[in-house]
Amino acid sequence: MNWWDDVLHRAVAEVILIGALAGMIGVHVVMRRLSFFTMALTHATFPGVVAASIIGVNLLVGGVATGAVIAIGVAVLARRRGQDAAAATGVLLSGGFALGAALVATQSGFSRDLSSFLVGSILTVSAADLVVTAVVLAVVAVVLLAGARPLLFVGFDPHGARAAGLSTTGWDLLLLLTIQLVVVAVVPAVGTILALSLIVAPAAAARLWSDRLPVITGLAVVFAILSGLAGLYASARWNVAAGASISLTATAVLAVSWPARWLVRWSSARWTPVPST
Amino acid sequence: MIDPFTVPFMGRALAEIALLALICGPISVFVFVRRLSFVSDALTHTVFPGVVIGFAAAGIEGIFVGALVAGVITALVLTVLTNRARLSDDAATAVLLTAMFSAGVVLVSRRSSYTSDLTSFLFGRLLTVTTRQLAETAVLAVVILAGLLVVARALVFRSFDPEGAAAAGFRVGWLDLWLNVLLALVVVAAVRAVGTILVVALLIVPAAAARMVSDRLAVMAGAGAVLVLAAGYAGLLLSWTASLRYGVSLTSASAVVLLLVLFYLLLIPVRWLRSGRSRRELVG
Repeated sequence: MNWWDDVLHRAVAEVILIGALAGMIGVHVVMRRLSFFTMALTHATFPGVVAASIIGVNLLVGGVATGAVIAIGVAVLARRRGQDAAAATGVLLSGGFALGAALVATQSGFSRDLSSFLVGSILTVSAADLVVTAVVLAVVAVVLLAGARPLLFVGFDPHGARAAGLSTTGWDLLLLLTIQLVVVAVVPAVGTILALSLIVAPAAAARLWSDRLPVITGLAVVFAILSGLAGLYASARWNVAAGASISLTATAVLAVSWPARWLVRWSSARWTPVPST
Repeated sequence: MIDPFTVPFMGRALAEIALLALICGPISVFVFVRRLSFVSDALTHTVFPGVVIGFAAAGIEGIFVGALVAGVITALVLTVLTNRARLSDDAATAVLLTAMFSAGVVLVSRRSSYTSDLTSFLFGRLLTVTTRQLAETAVLAVVILAGLLVVARALVFRSFDPEGAAAAGFRVGWLDLWLNVLLALVVVAAVRAVGTILVVALLIVPAAAARMVSDRLAVMAGAGAVLVLAAGYAGLLLSWTASLRYGVSLTSASAVVLLLVLFYLLLIPVRWLRSGRSRRELVG
Protein backbone atom coordinates (compact mmCIF):
# COMPACT_ATOMS: atom_id res chain seq x y z
CA MET A 1 0.00 0.00 0.00
CA ASN A 2 1.23 3.44 -0.94
CA TRP A 3 2.19 5.70 1.95
CA TRP A 4 -0.12 8.41 0.61
CA ASP A 5 -3.17 6.17 0.73
CA ASP A 6 -3.47 6.53 4.47
CA VAL A 7 -5.87 9.31 5.50
CA LEU A 8 -3.80 10.32 8.49
CA HIS A 9 -0.57 10.44 6.45
CA ARG A 10 -2.19 12.78 3.95
CA ALA A 11 -3.51 14.93 6.78
CA VAL A 12 -0.02 15.17 8.31
CA ALA A 13 1.49 16.20 4.99
CA GLU A 14 -1.26 18.77 4.44
CA VAL A 15 -0.80 20.21 7.93
CA ILE A 16 2.94 20.66 7.36
CA LEU A 17 2.44 22.36 3.99
CA ILE A 18 -0.34 24.61 5.30
CA GLY A 19 1.63 25.45 8.40
CA ALA A 20 4.57 26.65 6.31
CA LEU A 21 2.25 28.62 4.03
CA ALA A 22 0.28 30.23 6.87
CA GLY A 23 3.37 31.06 8.91
CA MET A 24 5.05 32.86 6.01
CA ILE A 25 2.09 34.96 4.97
CA GLY A 26 0.95 35.41 8.57
CA VAL A 27 3.96 37.57 9.41
CA HIS A 28 2.86 40.07 6.79
CA VAL A 29 -0.77 39.86 7.86
CA VAL A 30 0.12 40.62 11.48
CA MET A 31 2.65 43.36 10.64
CA ARG A 32 0.32 45.16 8.25
CA ARG A 33 -2.76 44.61 10.42
CA LEU A 34 -4.63 42.76 7.75
CA SER A 35 -6.37 40.19 9.97
CA PHE A 36 -9.82 41.59 9.26
CA PHE A 37 -9.07 41.68 5.55
CA THR A 38 -8.05 38.02 5.74
CA MET A 39 -11.23 37.12 7.60
CA ALA A 40 -13.31 39.05 5.06
CA LEU A 41 -11.53 37.27 2.20
CA THR A 42 -12.36 33.85 3.60
CA HIS A 43 -16.05 34.77 3.52
CA ALA A 44 -16.10 36.91 0.42
CA THR A 45 -14.46 34.29 -1.82
CA PHE A 46 -17.10 31.81 -0.68
CA PRO A 47 -19.70 32.65 -3.39
CA GLY A 48 -17.00 32.32 -6.05
CA VAL A 49 -16.14 28.84 -4.86
CA VAL A 50 -19.80 27.80 -4.68
CA ALA A 51 -20.56 29.26 -8.12
CA ALA A 52 -17.54 27.44 -9.57
CA SER A 53 -18.77 24.15 -8.14
CA ILE A 54 -22.29 24.74 -9.54
CA ILE A 55 -20.98 25.57 -13.01
CA GLY A 56 -18.44 22.80 -12.80
CA VAL A 57 -15.21 24.78 -13.07
CA ASN A 58 -12.18 24.17 -10.86
CA LEU A 59 -12.93 25.53 -7.38
CA LEU A 60 -9.57 27.23 -7.12
CA VAL A 61 -10.21 29.21 -10.30
CA GLY A 62 -13.54 30.49 -8.96
CA GLY A 63 -12.01 31.44 -5.65
CA VAL A 64 -8.98 33.17 -7.11
CA ALA A 65 -11.12 35.16 -9.56
CA THR A 66 -13.45 36.41 -6.79
CA GLY A 67 -10.54 37.03 -4.45
CA ALA A 68 -8.68 39.10 -7.02
CA VAL A 69 -11.72 41.34 -7.55
CA ILE A 70 -12.04 41.82 -3.78
CA ALA A 71 -8.33 42.47 -3.24
CA ILE A 72 -8.39 45.17 -5.92
CA GLY A 73 -11.58 46.61 -4.43
CA VAL A 74 -10.03 46.85 -0.97
CA ALA A 75 -6.80 48.32 -2.34
CA VAL A 76 -8.81 51.04 -4.07
CA LEU A 77 -10.99 51.70 -1.01
CA ALA A 78 -8.02 51.77 1.37
CA ARG A 79 -6.51 54.66 -0.55
CA ARG A 80 -9.32 56.87 0.66
CA ARG A 81 -9.03 58.23 4.15
CA GLY A 82 -11.52 57.80 6.96
CA GLN A 83 -13.53 54.94 8.34
CA ASP A 84 -14.64 53.72 4.96
CA ALA A 85 -12.07 50.95 4.57
CA ALA A 86 -13.00 49.04 7.72
CA ALA A 87 -16.71 49.42 7.04
CA ALA A 88 -16.32 48.45 3.38
CA THR A 89 -14.38 45.33 4.39
CA GLY A 90 -17.22 44.46 6.75
CA VAL A 91 -19.82 44.97 4.04
CA LEU A 92 -17.83 42.70 1.70
CA LEU A 93 -17.63 40.08 4.42
CA SER A 94 -21.33 39.95 5.23
CA GLY A 95 -22.45 40.34 1.64
CA GLY A 96 -20.14 37.61 0.39
CA PHE A 97 -21.11 35.24 3.16
CA ALA A 98 -24.84 35.77 2.56
CA LEU A 99 -24.45 35.35 -1.20
CA GLY A 100 -22.45 32.16 -0.79
CA ALA A 101 -24.91 30.77 1.74
CA ALA A 102 -27.84 31.63 -0.52
CA LEU A 103 -26.15 29.87 -3.46
CA VAL A 104 -25.41 26.82 -1.35
CA ALA A 105 -29.00 26.73 -0.09
CA THR A 106 -30.33 26.40 -3.63
CA GLN A 107 -28.45 23.09 -3.83
CA SER A 108 -29.65 20.11 -1.86
CA GLY A 109 -27.89 18.70 1.18
CA PHE A 110 -26.30 22.00 1.95
CA SER A 111 -25.80 21.91 5.71
CA ARG A 112 -22.82 19.55 5.39
CA ASP A 113 -21.10 21.78 2.83
CA LEU A 114 -21.60 24.90 4.94
CA SER A 115 -20.19 23.46 8.12
CA SER A 116 -17.21 22.01 6.28
CA PHE A 117 -16.66 25.46 4.83
CA LEU A 118 -16.52 26.85 8.36
CA VAL A 119 -14.58 24.20 10.24
CA GLY A 120 -13.03 22.35 7.31
CA SER A 121 -12.32 18.69 7.01
CA ILE A 122 -8.59 18.24 7.06
CA LEU A 123 -8.97 14.47 7.43
CA THR A 124 -10.49 14.21 3.97
CA VAL A 125 -7.83 16.02 1.92
CA SER A 126 -7.16 14.36 -1.39
CA ALA A 127 -3.84 13.93 -3.15
CA ALA A 128 -4.93 16.69 -5.54
CA ASP A 129 -5.41 19.07 -2.58
CA LEU A 130 -1.87 18.28 -1.50
CA VAL A 131 -0.45 19.08 -4.93
CA VAL A 132 -2.36 22.38 -5.06
CA THR A 133 -1.12 23.38 -1.62
CA ALA A 134 2.46 22.49 -2.54
CA VAL A 135 2.34 24.54 -5.73
CA VAL A 136 0.82 27.53 -3.94
CA LEU A 137 3.48 27.20 -1.24
CA ALA A 138 6.22 27.36 -3.88
CA VAL A 139 4.66 30.40 -5.59
CA VAL A 140 4.12 32.29 -2.34
CA ALA A 141 7.63 31.50 -1.10
CA VAL A 142 9.15 32.85 -4.32
CA VAL A 143 7.02 36.03 -4.25
CA LEU A 144 7.75 36.75 -0.59
CA LEU A 145 11.49 36.07 -0.93
CA ALA A 146 11.90 38.08 -4.10
CA GLY A 147 9.81 40.96 -2.79
CA ALA A 148 10.99 40.86 0.83
CA ARG A 149 12.86 44.18 0.85
CA PRO A 150 10.35 46.33 -1.04
CA LEU A 151 7.42 44.79 0.88
CA LEU A 152 9.13 45.65 4.17
CA PHE A 153 9.97 49.17 3.02
CA VAL A 154 6.45 49.87 1.75
CA GLY A 155 4.90 48.41 4.88
CA PHE A 156 6.85 50.43 7.40
CA ASP A 157 7.57 53.65 5.58
CA PRO A 158 5.14 54.22 2.71
CA HIS A 159 6.18 57.86 2.24
CA GLY A 160 9.87 57.00 2.13
CA ALA A 161 9.17 54.15 -0.28
CA ARG A 162 7.23 56.45 -2.57
CA ALA A 163 10.01 59.02 -2.43
CA ALA A 164 12.51 56.26 -3.29
CA GLY A 165 10.52 55.55 -6.44
CA LEU A 166 8.66 52.41 -5.38
CA SER A 167 5.04 51.97 -6.39
CA THR A 168 3.34 51.61 -3.01
CA THR A 169 -0.03 50.75 -4.55
CA GLY A 170 1.57 48.09 -6.71
CA TRP A 171 3.36 46.39 -3.82
CA ASP A 172 0.30 46.65 -1.56
CA LEU A 173 -1.79 45.03 -4.25
CA LEU A 174 0.80 42.28 -4.70
CA LEU A 175 0.65 41.54 -0.98
CA LEU A 176 -3.18 41.48 -0.95
CA LEU A 177 -3.22 39.17 -3.97
CA THR A 178 -0.70 36.83 -2.33
CA ILE A 179 -2.84 36.72 0.82
CA GLN A 180 -5.93 35.92 -1.19
CA LEU A 181 -4.07 33.14 -3.03
CA VAL A 182 -3.16 31.59 0.31
CA VAL A 183 -6.72 31.94 1.63
CA VAL A 184 -8.27 30.40 -1.46
CA ALA A 185 -5.83 27.50 -1.44
CA VAL A 186 -6.19 26.80 2.27
CA VAL A 187 -9.88 27.35 3.05
CA PRO A 188 -11.45 24.48 1.06
CA ALA A 189 -9.19 22.00 2.82
CA VAL A 190 -9.27 23.30 6.38
CA GLY A 191 -12.14 25.81 6.68
CA THR A 192 -12.24 29.55 7.36
CA ILE A 193 -11.75 29.50 11.11
CA LEU A 194 -8.66 27.30 11.03
CA ALA A 195 -7.22 29.27 8.12
CA LEU A 196 -7.53 32.55 10.02
CA SER A 197 -6.21 30.98 13.18
CA LEU A 198 -3.12 29.44 11.57
CA ILE A 199 -2.33 32.65 9.73
CA VAL A 200 -2.63 35.03 12.70
CA ALA A 201 -1.84 33.18 15.94
CA PRO A 202 1.63 31.71 15.17
CA ALA A 203 2.80 34.95 13.60
CA ALA A 204 1.53 36.98 16.56
CA ALA A 205 3.33 34.59 18.93
CA ALA A 206 6.55 34.81 16.89
CA ARG A 207 6.27 38.60 16.94
CA LEU A 208 6.53 38.51 20.74
CA TRP A 209 9.93 36.81 20.56
CA SER A 210 11.79 38.95 18.07
CA ASP A 211 11.91 42.23 16.19
CA ARG A 212 13.76 40.88 13.14
CA LEU A 213 11.65 39.83 10.18
CA PRO A 214 13.62 36.71 9.11
CA VAL A 215 13.62 35.39 12.67
CA ILE A 216 9.90 36.10 13.09
CA THR A 217 9.11 34.35 9.80
CA GLY A 218 11.12 31.26 10.75
CA LEU A 219 9.54 31.10 14.19
CA ALA A 220 6.03 31.60 12.78
CA VAL A 221 6.49 28.71 10.34
CA VAL A 222 7.80 26.44 13.11
CA PHE A 223 4.96 27.43 15.48
CA ALA A 224 2.32 26.88 12.79
CA ILE A 225 3.62 23.43 11.80
CA LEU A 226 4.03 22.36 15.43
CA SER A 227 0.52 23.45 16.39
CA GLY A 228 -0.82 21.66 13.32
CA LEU A 229 0.83 18.38 14.28
CA ALA A 230 -0.01 18.67 17.97
CA GLY A 231 -3.62 19.57 17.17
CA LEU A 232 -3.92 16.61 14.82
CA TYR A 233 -2.60 14.31 17.52
CA ALA A 234 -5.00 15.74 20.12
CA SER A 235 -7.89 15.33 17.70
CA ALA A 236 -7.10 11.65 17.13
CA ARG A 237 -6.43 11.07 20.82
CA TRP A 238 -9.63 12.59 22.20
CA ASN A 239 -11.88 12.22 19.18
CA VAL A 240 -12.72 15.90 18.64
CA ALA A 241 -12.94 17.98 15.45
CA ALA A 242 -9.44 18.21 13.93
CA GLY A 243 -9.62 21.79 12.63
CA ALA A 244 -10.85 23.15 15.94
CA SER A 245 -8.22 21.36 18.00
CA ILE A 246 -5.45 22.65 15.71
CA SER A 247 -6.64 26.22 16.09
CA LEU A 248 -6.87 25.83 19.86
CA THR A 249 -3.27 24.56 19.89
CA ALA A 250 -2.16 27.58 17.87
CA THR A 251 -3.87 29.83 20.40
CA ALA A 252 -2.16 27.95 23.22
CA VAL A 253 1.24 28.68 21.67
CA LEU A 254 0.42 32.38 21.78
CA ALA A 255 -1.00 32.17 25.29
CA VAL A 256 2.19 30.46 26.52
CA SER A 257 4.51 32.78 24.60
CA TRP A 258 3.11 35.84 26.33
CA PRO A 259 4.06 35.07 29.96
CA ALA A 260 7.19 33.17 28.84
CA ARG A 261 8.44 36.19 26.96
CA TRP A 262 7.66 38.38 29.91
CA LEU A 263 9.57 36.07 32.28
CA VAL A 264 12.61 35.93 29.98
CA ARG A 265 12.67 39.70 29.79
CA TRP A 266 12.23 40.13 33.49
CA SER A 267 15.05 37.72 34.36
CA SER A 268 17.44 39.14 31.75
CA ALA A 269 16.71 42.67 32.94
CA ARG A 270 17.52 41.51 36.45
CA TRP A 271 20.75 39.71 35.68
CA THR A 272 22.26 41.93 33.03
CA PRO A 273 24.28 44.74 34.57
CA VAL A 274 23.03 48.14 33.48
CA PRO A 275 25.66 49.67 31.20
CA SER A 276 27.01 52.87 32.67
CA THR A 277 26.90 55.74 30.24
CA MET B 1 -47.80 43.20 -0.64
CA ILE B 2 -49.17 42.95 2.89
CA ASP B 3 -50.83 39.60 2.38
CA PRO B 4 -47.93 37.29 3.34
CA PHE B 5 -47.50 39.09 6.64
CA THR B 6 -50.99 38.19 7.82
CA VAL B 7 -49.65 34.66 8.28
CA PRO B 8 -48.60 34.60 11.95
CA PHE B 9 -45.01 33.40 11.53
CA MET B 10 -44.30 35.99 8.84
CA GLY B 11 -45.79 38.73 11.00
CA ARG B 12 -43.60 37.69 13.93
CA ALA B 13 -40.52 37.58 11.72
CA LEU B 14 -41.23 41.12 10.54
CA ALA B 15 -41.81 42.30 14.10
CA GLU B 16 -38.46 40.79 15.15
CA ILE B 17 -36.71 42.60 12.29
CA ALA B 18 -38.45 45.85 13.23
CA LEU B 19 -37.20 45.56 16.81
CA LEU B 20 -33.68 44.81 15.58
CA ALA B 21 -33.87 47.78 13.22
CA LEU B 22 -34.61 49.98 16.20
CA ILE B 23 -31.47 48.72 17.98
CA CYS B 24 -29.12 48.36 15.04
CA GLY B 25 -29.62 51.81 13.56
CA PRO B 26 -28.02 53.65 16.51
CA ILE B 27 -25.55 50.94 17.53
CA SER B 28 -24.16 50.49 14.03
CA VAL B 29 -23.30 54.20 13.97
CA PHE B 30 -20.89 53.58 16.84
CA VAL B 31 -19.57 50.43 15.16
CA PHE B 32 -18.86 52.64 12.16
CA VAL B 33 -17.15 55.56 13.89
CA ARG B 34 -15.15 53.36 16.28
CA ARG B 35 -14.22 50.92 13.46
CA LEU B 36 -15.56 47.97 15.36
CA SER B 37 -16.57 45.92 12.30
CA PHE B 38 -14.09 43.19 13.14
CA VAL B 39 -15.11 43.19 16.81
CA SER B 40 -18.76 42.74 15.80
CA ASP B 41 -17.83 39.86 13.55
CA ALA B 42 -15.76 38.35 16.34
CA LEU B 43 -18.62 38.62 18.85
CA THR B 44 -20.98 36.70 16.59
CA HIS B 45 -18.48 33.83 16.62
CA THR B 46 -17.44 33.95 20.24
CA VAL B 47 -20.97 33.54 21.63
CA PHE B 48 -21.02 30.10 20.02
CA PRO B 49 -19.34 28.15 22.87
CA GLY B 50 -21.76 29.88 25.26
CA VAL B 51 -24.68 28.70 23.15
CA VAL B 52 -23.33 25.15 23.17
CA ILE B 53 -22.66 25.03 26.91
CA GLY B 54 -25.96 26.72 27.70
CA PHE B 55 -27.87 24.23 25.58
CA ALA B 56 -26.06 21.27 27.12
CA ALA B 57 -26.72 22.53 30.64
CA ALA B 58 -30.31 23.72 30.46
CA GLY B 59 -31.76 22.97 27.04
CA ILE B 60 -33.32 25.66 24.85
CA GLU B 61 -33.75 28.07 27.76
CA GLY B 62 -30.04 27.87 28.60
CA ILE B 63 -28.95 29.22 25.21
CA PHE B 64 -29.82 32.78 26.11
CA VAL B 65 -27.87 32.82 29.38
CA GLY B 66 -24.93 30.94 27.88
CA ALA B 67 -24.64 33.35 24.98
CA LEU B 68 -24.94 36.30 27.35
CA VAL B 69 -22.10 35.05 29.56
CA ALA B 70 -19.85 34.25 26.59
CA GLY B 71 -20.60 37.64 25.01
CA VAL B 72 -19.75 39.58 28.16
CA ILE B 73 -16.54 37.56 28.67
CA THR B 74 -15.53 38.36 25.08
CA ALA B 75 -16.22 42.04 25.60
CA LEU B 76 -14.06 42.04 28.74
CA VAL B 77 -11.14 40.12 27.20
CA LEU B 78 -11.23 42.21 24.02
CA THR B 79 -11.17 45.47 25.95
CA VAL B 80 -8.20 44.31 28.02
CA LEU B 81 -6.27 42.85 25.07
CA THR B 82 -6.74 45.82 22.76
CA ASN B 83 -5.49 48.24 25.40
CA ARG B 84 -2.09 46.50 25.36
CA ALA B 85 0.29 47.63 22.66
CA ARG B 86 2.45 44.59 21.96
CA LEU B 87 -0.30 42.62 20.20
CA SER B 88 -2.12 44.77 17.64
CA ASP B 89 -5.85 44.90 18.25
CA ASP B 90 -6.87 43.21 15.03
CA ALA B 91 -4.57 40.25 15.68
CA ALA B 92 -5.94 39.98 19.23
CA THR B 93 -9.49 40.02 17.89
CA ALA B 94 -8.69 37.35 15.30
CA VAL B 95 -7.08 35.06 17.85
CA LEU B 96 -9.93 35.41 20.33
CA LEU B 97 -12.49 34.80 17.58
CA THR B 98 -10.88 31.59 16.32
CA ALA B 99 -10.07 30.30 19.79
CA MET B 100 -13.57 30.68 21.22
CA PHE B 101 -15.31 29.45 18.10
CA SER B 102 -13.03 26.41 18.00
CA ALA B 103 -13.80 25.71 21.65
CA GLY B 104 -17.48 25.66 20.69
CA VAL B 105 -16.82 23.34 17.77
CA VAL B 106 -14.77 20.98 19.92
CA LEU B 107 -17.63 20.80 22.43
CA VAL B 108 -20.23 20.26 19.75
CA SER B 109 -18.19 17.78 17.71
CA ARG B 110 -18.37 15.20 20.48
CA ARG B 111 -22.04 14.86 19.60
CA SER B 112 -23.08 13.01 16.49
CA SER B 113 -25.05 15.49 14.38
CA TYR B 114 -23.31 18.76 14.81
CA THR B 115 -23.56 20.03 11.25
CA SER B 116 -27.27 20.82 11.59
CA ASP B 117 -26.60 22.70 14.85
CA LEU B 118 -23.97 24.78 13.12
CA THR B 119 -26.28 25.53 10.22
CA SER B 120 -29.07 26.75 12.46
CA PHE B 121 -26.53 28.88 14.31
CA LEU B 122 -25.51 30.47 11.00
CA PHE B 123 -28.98 31.08 9.62
CA GLY B 124 -30.99 31.29 12.79
CA ARG B 125 -34.65 30.49 12.60
CA LEU B 126 -36.17 33.76 11.55
CA LEU B 127 -39.43 32.12 10.51
CA THR B 128 -39.89 30.27 13.80
CA VAL B 129 -39.49 33.25 16.12
CA THR B 130 -41.82 32.79 19.07
CA THR B 131 -43.76 35.42 20.97
CA ARG B 132 -41.49 34.76 23.93
CA GLN B 133 -38.38 35.50 21.87
CA LEU B 134 -40.04 38.68 20.63
CA ALA B 135 -40.61 39.74 24.23
CA GLU B 136 -36.97 38.97 25.10
CA THR B 137 -35.75 41.01 22.16
CA ALA B 138 -38.04 43.89 23.14
CA VAL B 139 -36.71 43.94 26.70
CA LEU B 140 -33.13 43.84 25.46
CA ALA B 141 -33.93 46.60 22.97
CA VAL B 142 -35.03 48.87 25.81
CA VAL B 143 -31.95 47.99 27.88
CA ILE B 144 -29.54 48.51 24.98
CA LEU B 145 -31.05 51.79 23.83
CA ALA B 146 -31.12 53.14 27.38
CA GLY B 147 -27.52 52.04 27.89
CA LEU B 148 -26.53 53.76 24.69
CA LEU B 149 -28.42 56.94 25.45
CA VAL B 150 -26.82 57.38 28.88
CA VAL B 151 -23.29 57.51 27.49
CA ALA B 152 -23.97 58.65 23.91
CA ARG B 153 -22.32 62.04 24.26
CA ALA B 154 -19.26 60.64 26.01
CA LEU B 155 -18.95 57.91 23.39
CA VAL B 156 -19.05 60.41 20.55
CA PHE B 157 -16.45 62.57 22.30
CA ARG B 158 -14.24 59.51 22.87
CA SER B 159 -14.62 58.35 19.26
CA PHE B 160 -13.40 61.54 17.69
CA ASP B 161 -10.95 62.77 20.29
CA PRO B 162 -9.71 60.07 22.70
CA GLU B 163 -7.03 62.26 24.30
CA GLY B 164 -9.48 65.13 24.75
CA ALA B 165 -12.02 62.80 26.33
CA ALA B 166 -9.42 61.41 28.71
CA ALA B 167 -8.29 64.93 29.61
CA ALA B 168 -11.90 65.97 30.21
CA GLY B 169 -12.13 63.25 32.86
CA PHE B 170 -13.89 60.46 30.95
CA ARG B 171 -12.61 56.96 31.67
CA VAL B 172 -11.87 55.83 28.13
CA GLY B 173 -11.25 52.20 29.08
CA TRP B 174 -14.63 51.95 30.81
CA LEU B 175 -16.39 53.60 27.86
CA ASP B 176 -14.82 51.04 25.49
CA LEU B 177 -15.90 48.21 27.75
CA TRP B 178 -19.43 49.63 27.94
CA LEU B 179 -19.75 49.79 24.15
CA ASN B 180 -18.34 46.27 23.73
CA VAL B 181 -20.82 44.92 26.28
CA LEU B 182 -23.71 46.66 24.50
CA LEU B 183 -22.55 45.09 21.22
CA ALA B 184 -22.43 41.69 22.90
CA LEU B 185 -26.03 42.26 24.10
CA VAL B 186 -27.18 43.02 20.56
CA VAL B 187 -25.54 39.86 19.28
CA VAL B 188 -27.14 37.82 22.04
CA ALA B 189 -30.54 39.37 21.41
CA ALA B 190 -30.40 38.64 17.72
CA VAL B 191 -28.30 35.56 17.14
CA ARG B 192 -30.78 32.87 18.07
CA ALA B 193 -33.58 34.39 16.05
CA VAL B 194 -31.76 35.54 12.94
CA GLY B 195 -28.38 33.76 12.90
CA THR B 196 -24.85 35.07 12.68
CA ILE B 197 -24.93 35.94 8.97
CA LEU B 198 -27.70 38.46 9.53
CA VAL B 199 -26.37 39.84 12.82
CA VAL B 200 -22.99 40.76 11.34
CA ALA B 201 -24.70 42.52 8.46
CA LEU B 202 -27.10 44.37 10.78
CA LEU B 203 -24.22 45.68 12.90
CA ILE B 204 -22.02 46.86 10.04
CA VAL B 205 -24.01 47.70 6.94
CA PRO B 206 -26.76 50.17 8.09
CA ALA B 207 -24.43 52.94 9.25
CA ALA B 208 -21.99 52.35 6.40
CA ALA B 209 -24.86 52.78 3.95
CA ALA B 210 -26.36 55.72 5.83
CA ARG B 211 -22.96 57.42 5.82
CA MET B 212 -23.40 57.84 2.06
CA VAL B 213 -26.44 60.04 2.66
CA SER B 214 -25.37 62.09 5.64
CA ASP B 215 -22.46 62.70 7.98
CA ARG B 216 -24.60 63.69 10.96
CA LEU B 217 -24.67 60.87 13.48
CA ALA B 218 -28.33 61.23 14.49
CA VAL B 219 -29.45 61.24 10.86
CA MET B 220 -27.25 58.21 10.19
CA ALA B 221 -28.89 56.31 13.06
CA GLY B 222 -32.38 57.07 11.78
CA ALA B 223 -31.57 56.31 8.17
CA GLY B 224 -29.86 53.07 9.20
CA ALA B 225 -32.96 51.90 11.07
CA VAL B 226 -35.18 52.72 8.09
CA LEU B 227 -32.85 50.83 5.76
CA VAL B 228 -32.92 47.74 7.96
CA LEU B 229 -36.71 47.83 8.13
CA ALA B 230 -36.99 48.22 4.36
CA ALA B 231 -34.52 45.42 3.70
CA GLY B 232 -36.29 43.22 6.25
CA TYR B 233 -39.71 43.74 4.71
CA ALA B 234 -38.51 43.32 1.13
CA GLY B 235 -36.27 40.39 2.00
CA LEU B 236 -39.01 38.43 3.74
CA LEU B 237 -41.38 39.14 0.87
CA LEU B 238 -38.73 38.06 -1.63
CA SER B 239 -37.94 34.77 0.05
CA TRP B 240 -41.69 34.11 0.49
CA THR B 241 -42.42 34.72 -3.20
CA ALA B 242 -39.32 32.89 -4.38
CA SER B 243 -40.15 29.71 -2.50
CA LEU B 244 -43.94 29.76 -3.00
CA ARG B 245 -44.23 30.98 -6.56
CA TYR B 246 -41.01 29.77 -8.14
CA GLY B 247 -39.91 26.91 -5.90
CA VAL B 248 -36.47 28.42 -5.31
CA SER B 249 -35.40 27.97 -1.71
CA LEU B 250 -34.00 31.32 -0.69
CA THR B 251 -33.23 31.53 3.03
CA SER B 252 -34.87 34.63 4.47
CA ALA B 253 -31.76 35.72 6.39
CA SER B 254 -29.65 35.68 3.22
CA ALA B 255 -32.31 37.60 1.32
CA VAL B 256 -32.39 40.36 3.95
CA VAL B 257 -28.59 40.68 4.00
CA LEU B 258 -28.28 40.74 0.24
CA LEU B 259 -30.86 43.51 -0.01
CA LEU B 260 -29.08 45.49 2.68
CA VAL B 261 -25.78 45.19 0.78
CA LEU B 262 -27.62 46.14 -2.42
CA PHE B 263 -28.82 49.36 -0.72
CA TYR B 264 -25.21 50.07 0.27
CA LEU B 265 -24.02 49.65 -3.31
CA LEU B 266 -26.88 51.73 -4.71
CA LEU B 267 -26.08 54.57 -2.31
CA ILE B 268 -22.38 54.80 -3.28
CA PRO B 269 -23.08 57.20 -6.20
CA VAL B 270 -24.97 59.49 -3.80
CA ARG B 271 -21.78 59.75 -1.76
CA TRP B 272 -19.76 60.69 -4.84
CA LEU B 273 -22.29 63.35 -5.80
CA ARG B 274 -22.21 64.83 -2.30
CA SER B 275 -18.42 64.86 -1.99
CA GLY B 276 -18.09 66.33 -5.48
CA ARG B 277 -20.50 69.12 -4.57
CA SER B 278 -18.79 69.95 -1.26
CA ARG B 279 -15.41 70.03 -2.99
CA ARG B 280 -16.75 72.51 -5.54
CA GLU B 281 -18.17 74.64 -2.74
CA LEU B 282 -14.81 74.67 -0.99
CA VAL B 283 -13.03 75.71 -4.17
CA GLY B 284 -15.63 78.33 -5.14
